[in-house]
Amino acid sequence: MRIYEVFLKKDGKDEFRHAGSLEAPDDELAIVLARETYVRRAEGDQLWLVDRANVVTVDADFVAPNADKPHRHNDGSLVAADRRARRDLLPAPST
Amino acid sequence: MMSAGPREHLLAFADDEHLMGQGHTEWIGVAPFLEEDLAFCSIAQDELGHAAALYELVADDGGADALAFRPPADFRSCHLVELPCDDWAEALARHWLYDLAEQHRWRAMAGSTHPGVAAIVARAEREEVYHRRHAATLVGRLLTTPGEGADRLRAAIDRLLPFADALWDPVAGEAETVAVGVVTAGSAELRAPWRAEVSAALGGPVEWERLAGPRQAGRTVRSEHFAAIHDRITEVVRIDPAAHW
Repeated sequence: MRIYEVFLKKDGKDEFRHAGSLEAPDDELAIVLARETYVRRAEGDQLWLVDRANVVTVDADFVAPNADKPHRHNDGSLVAADRRARRDLLPAPST
Repeated sequence: MMSAGPREHLLAFADDEHLMGQGHTEWIGVAPFLEEDLAFCSIAQDELGHAAALYELVADDGGADALAFRPPADFRSCHLVELPCDDWAEALARHWLYDLAEQHRWRAMAGSTHPGVAAIVARAEREEVYHRRHAATLVGRLLTTPGEGADRLRAAIDRLLPFADALWDPVAGEAETVAVGVVTAGSAELRAPWRAEVSAALGGPVEWERLAGPRQAGRTVRSEHFAAIHDRITEVVRIDPAAHW
């Protein structure tokens, strides 16, 4: 048996999203089983099935070291606060 | 009011769809694996939907329910759909044989002169594409993988073949139904391509003429299994005749 990862895409600009996985012995059975398991309520109108053997996985040890770098999470709030402070210093517009 | 031949013909098809759908629902929760549970549930809903649409077409004033829950003697189902099929191999074998046949029955209605039929055919055919692919994929894979699965499925198909072939026994008035164009082909004409497809899928000729099918007498005789099914499908309306769902 193989394990297939199931991806669904809705109509429009949404991207493909991972929906789950299933076991099947071959591609055609995976298609037939995925149809009613994952799309019976029209959850998507495009379906990708990826044999897990073909998924490139990366060690957590290699991925994890960037978890403690909050300085890379710039949400722009410091810049926004600074701009607001400068605007408040300007004289009120004359009427 | 529809004349007798076409009414009998559409009722027989509706009864087959009704009991086939009922048979599939009985696998919900107990199919061999989750995905098949969901597949049989969906296919059951589709077949029950076809039955409801066909009953509605024939119904006079009581609506579809009055026909779906009518007395046993009035049913025109074939004995194939009355079988318990409580072994998974038999349930799958019946699903495959029945849906191969159903395809031809819808096609014979695609050019129907009856105004209500065309819309039902279009919807049914969209759903049947999945039913056939589901059945053919599972059956094809199992039969070509030597082992217990192949042996059990082949034995189940062989047990069911006489019943499946008897699905083509016509009801009374078929000649009239074809003559007025409610269907464009009679059952003898549809049986031939079905037999060819089944033989091809089984990898060799089937001795059709030697199969001893059930004696259905124009589908007026109920099999020994029918009473139990009828009890189950009428259970709710017997408890509460006004039940709505």
